Amino acid sequence: MMGNRQDLFKQETVKASNVRATLARLGRYFAPYWYMVLLALAVIIASTWMNVTTPELTGQATDCFIVPLGGQTASFQPFGLTQSENSASASACWLGTTDPSSLTLTRQLIYKAHTWNDFPIPDASTMTNDSRIAGLFRLTMIMAALYVFGALLFGLTFLVMTWAAQHVIRQLRLQVFEKLHDLSLSYYSEHTAGDLMSRITNDTSALEQGTSFALVQFISGVIQLVWISYNMLTASLPFALLSLSVAPLMFVATAYFSAQARKAFRKSRKEIGNVNAELQESISSVREVQAFNRADENMEQFREVNAANRDANVRAVSFTSALAPVLEALSYVALAIVVGAGGWALLSGQTLFGATVTFGLVVTFLAYVQRFNQPIQQIAVLWTNIQNGIAGAERIFNILDENPAVQDKPTAQTMPPIKGLVEFTNASHSYEDGVPVLKEVSFTAQPGQTIAIVGPTGAGKTTIINLLPRFYDVTTGSVKIDGIDVRDVTMKSLREQIGIVLQDTFLFSQSVIENVLFGRPNATDDEVMSAIKLANADSFIERLPEKYQTVLGERGSGLSQGQRQLLSIARAALSDPKILILDEATSSVDTRTERLIQKAFDELLKGRTAFVIAHRLSTIRNADMILVLKDGQIIERGKHDELLAQQGFYYDLYMSQFKKQEEIAEAIIAN
Amino acid sequence: MQATLTQTRARRPRPSFKGIGRAIRYLTRYGRQAALPYLFLIIATLAQLAVPRMIRNVIDAVTSGFVANQILDALTTIPEQLVGAALPKILEAAGRPDSLTLDQLKVQLEADVSSAPQILINALIFIVIFAALRGVFSFLQAFWAEKNSQAVAYDIRNELYSKIQSLSFSYHDKNQTGQLMVRATDDVEKVRVFIGQGLLQLVGAIILLTGTVIILFSTNVTLAWTSMPILPIAFGLFVFFGIISQPLFAKVQEKLSALNTILQENLAGVKVIKAFTREREQQKKFHFAANDTMNQQIHVARLFTFLFPLIFMVANLGQAAILYVGGEQIITGLLTLGEWQEFSLYLIYLFFPIAQFGFIITQLGQASASAERIFEILDAKNDIVDRPNAVTLPDVTGTVKFENVTFRYFGGGDPVLKNVSFIANPGETIALLGATGSGKTTIINLLPRFYDPSEGKITIDNHDLRDVRLESLRSQIGIVLQETTLFSGSIRDNIAFGKPDATLDEIQSAAKAAAAHDFITSFPDGYNTHVGERGATLSGGQKQRLAIARAILLNPRILILDDSTSSVDLQTESHIQAALETLMQGRTSFVIAQRISTVVNADKIIVLDKGEIVAEGKHNDLMEDSAIYAEIYNSQILAHQTSEVFKTSEVSGEVTL
Repeated sequence: MMGNRQDLFKQETVKASNVRATLARLGRYFAPYWYMVLLALAVIIASTWMNVTTPELTGQATDCFIVPLGGQTASFQPFGLTQSENSASASACWLGTTDPSSLTLTRQLIYKAHTWNDFPIPDASTMTNDSRIAGLFRLTMIMAALYVFGALLFGLTFLVMTWAAQHVIRQLRLQVFEKLHDLSLSYYSEHTAGDLMSRITNDTSALEQGTSFALVQFISGVIQLVWISYNMLTASLPFALLSLSVAPLMFVATAYFSAQARKAFRKSRKEIGNVNAELQESISSVREVQAFNRADENMEQFREVNAANRDANVRAVSFTSALAPVLEALSYVALAIVVGAGGWALLSGQTLFGATVTFGLVVTFLAYVQRFNQPIQQIAVLWTNIQNGIAGAERIFNILDENPAVQDKPTAQTMPPIKGLVEFTNASHSYEDGVPVLKEVSFTAQPGQTIAIVGPTGAGKTTIINLLPRFYDVTTGSVKIDGIDVRDVTMKSLREQIGIVLQDTFLFSQSVIENVLFGRPNATDDEVMSAIKLANADSFIERLPEKYQTVLGERGSGLSQGQRQLLSIARAALSDPKILILDEATSSVDTRTERLIQKAFDELLKGRTAFVIAHRLSTIRNADMILVLKDGQIIERGKHDELLAQQGFYYDLYMSQFKKQEEIAEAIIAN
Repeated sequence: MQATLTQTRARRPRPSFKGIGRAIRYLTRYGRQAALPYLFLIIATLAQLAVPRMIRNVIDAVTSGFVANQILDALTTIPEQLVGAALPKILEAAGRPDSLTLDQLKVQLEADVSSAPQILINALIFIVIFAALRGVFSFLQAFWAEKNSQAVAYDIRNELYSKIQSLSFSYHDKNQTGQLMVRATDDVEKVRVFIGQGLLQLVGAIILLTGTVIILFSTNVTLAWTSMPILPIAFGLFVFFGIISQPLFAKVQEKLSALNTILQENLAGVKVIKAFTREREQQKKFHFAANDTMNQQIHVARLFTFLFPLIFMVANLGQAAILYVGGEQIITGLLTLGEWQEFSLYLIYLFFPIAQFGFIITQLGQASASAERIFEILDAKNDIVDRPNAVTLPDVTGTVKFENVTFRYFGGGDPVLKNVSFIANPGETIALLGATGSGKTTIINLLPRFYDPSEGKITIDNHDLRDVRLESLRSQIGIVLQETTLFSGSIRDNIAFGKPDATLDEIQSAAKAAAAHDFITSFPDGYNTHVGERGATLSGGQKQRLAIARAILLNPRILILDDSTSSVDLQTESHIQAALETLMQGRTSFVIAQRISTVVNADKIIVLDKGEIVAEGKHNDLMEDSAIYAEIYNSQILAHQTSEVFKTSEVSGEVTL
């Protein structure tokens, strides 16, 4: 459906930086549907032809049957008198020609249609009223047929173009989606999910809008403009030039007002942005607003931005609402010029700068001018759509061209079943060139061992565990599992054997059970239940309205962060990994539950190599090895007791807590 | 209790126009200004209706002038003696009364010829004048319509804003920010567009249609009847189109949002998907959704393929009918060429409003649904309002009494507080302790009357909270919430949030008492430092101290403190602790405590479990008497404190003792 003109000006016009390359590439997507595109083009041309031809039929109806004046064969029928001087046009009624081969192709076709089944050609000198009406009827039928076919063809074009465009868009969507999976995490640290989301959806819909209806309308509009101008110019050059004299004004007005409107709407977009920000802020902090009795001040503030938005819109609209009336007024002037100039020539019996004018020509031109004015307005609007579509396509291509930082080698093997020996050898990593987050880290985890990693934020704890499932690759050094470099195996076979529980758990808007099954879709019910029990998630799930079938909200909303963590522990337990990574897995679980989970972990970690990042000491105390990280380097390592004995960084951390407890005890005693 | 906002926007109940009618009545506030666009619209439409008539005048003048010329020419060629015999025939053909003599005819014909240029010029001048009138007045109409509609949108938004701000917590518990936002933005815009454009288009279309029909019938009844079938057919088509297309478009939206949900989840959960190697399954899922979306779009396109051309066809076939019937009448002398062209121009006017009706009906449906959603908020009953006879709470000393207070959210379900009774004496610090969901937060929410108790009552200095004016109550209670929300504005504005007219001196001394002055002055802009939305540029500890300063500035008798998050380093911690102690001095304070010192120093500790008070007393007594307290103390307070140790080192990067 055509949008409102004003709304279209409201869109930001974004220009593609390389239109030609983008179009060429987009063209390649359309290539498999070339027959559809060709069909669409052919049909557009055909339907425009019909649209352009009908005014000529009206003209012929006038000159041949309704007012058969002014032809060389024409006579002033009512008086039975042959006309002499005023032989204005030599071929106003070309339907009456005796030499159809001299006509243009279009006219020949109409001529054939009109003389089909030996229908007599119009001859003003011999025609009776009845035969004139019969001729008129035949012409009307041809016209009706053209209208019907033209309309059907135009509809068909729309279907064909939509069909092709939708296939291309689906193709692009699938490619982008796959690309999103291929891109490594470094890409996601540079682009937030929200940004990517709005980019992808906006760009796709811009492309969608720019390729289907808008394109068809645009092309047919342009063809119609050109064709009508051509027809007018060839029918009568001077008359055409006069009739079209307001067209440049229309173009100028359209360009001027569109540009002004866009500028004004840019401002109004900013103002509505302020309104939204103000609303957002006070709705989301309504509790504070009420607590501090701020309603009146806020109201005053809101009134201000709200009024600014109102005024900016009114200003913007003063431009957009000017365009349509100006164009309409100009189109009336164009009509006036046609009847004025044509009328003057007919009245005075003179030629118009050397061109002869007939009633039919005036009627034809009236219809032409109407058909000429209407696409001008459309094209201005559609052009915006198409430009945005190309820009959207370009941005989609930019995503597709992104190179994933981590890729399978062509020679990558399948990772054999993991026993669990993990070796970091001088592993370094930097997210940005020259800013290493991990410096030459080396350690070995024996199968079945639990490795705890502690240290301040930014020390590189998460980086270490990100290297294992190849979320990132080492910059230098290597990470090996069972002696095999992780870069030599396929990511799929590697990751299948590694289970991860993250601090920021992500759940899908599916049922509880489906979320757990995500860990291993083909698990049996018993396996799922024991994973859930292991994570101590059963007690809260039983209290949910639909228990295991409860569908979670977006990103698992409806559950507390702690409950989400329990589910993600169950999910990881179900996947039965050989290597388990727990990154702050229980940070949001209350201490009582954590103690319960701790037991579960002891069970779960049995026989698996595990890497644990945790703030709470209890989890760490039993680790086979604690790695103390600072500034990307391992500064201490060993068991809890050994590290305490070293009296180093770990000792300080631990003792600070101890001291604190002592202080508290003192405080209690003092009371 | 209010209902939750209507959830599904796709679901379309039978449209009722009550809402949109009420929105339109907002226009009446603007008196005469509201009528202006309609006045302009009428002028513009009349000017538009005049143009085809002028074009007919031109053509008719030209035709008669031309014909007169032809006859005059012909007359000169007819031999004198034959003229008499030919005269009746000529008169009949020229449509003149047969009583005319040749000379009279000649005079008339010459008059036709000589007057034609004048008529032509006059008509042309009038066309230009009418075109200009049309242009100017349709611009004025659009401009004033926009102005009025923006004014209505402005009023509605203000009302919404004010209402949303005053609605009680229980309302906001049930309705998400996003939903309320959509109503204040999208829905208001839909209503505005209808009032500013749709409504005028509707009126304009009716005027144009009626005017055109009248003109058509007054010009030529037969020809008018010829064009009449267009009306019901086109109208029927549009209605049919509307009925058919609406659910299809809704379905496209549905498919698209399913597709976007998958995309959204895959973007946000990309790490999990990679970790569990579920790319293939997700891709399959997306593939299905993408196919679904495409097929639905193509399905809609199919509808367009038939309906659109059908509509254009009806319009154009009307033209063809006029060509034939009109042409026939010209031939038989019942119609002039000018009238015929006039008809063909008016035919567009006939068709155009009907096309508009189709769009307006769609718009009307959307706008009335939007209006209803807007008024749903404006009409929402507020649980917490001043009673008609509410009194101003005098300056309190700070005795707070809970008497058998029971509270249920949303008026149903299990109570979150059961029969809670306690007394807080002026100046006492009450520590609230308990697991998540035990009712701590509910207690502190009841005090400033964010909610009312379902049973029992709460008094401050023996005033039932429900009997006093909200503003006088809340202005005497200072609140430091768990998550500090700062507002976009300067630090100064944020401290003065509860007392906008505070002097800089007052603000500074509040900041000093909250141990915030030093870090504030360390910023280049000092108190004028701008904090972004939600105070993104400040650390957690800094935000907390600003919140404390904000509460200190109010100098409340009663203080509510939720300090369960304290992700700050030890140094800041001690600053905050000192600030809190200053703050609590001499005030009745309710604290959801995580800090040992607060708990240990509290005058009274209330231990909650599942909405009931299970223990009450001082720390030392409770340690001895209450097993639950001892357990909570050990597991929550101590564990919390220890877990902070590592966080501490993270923030500072080194251990601070």
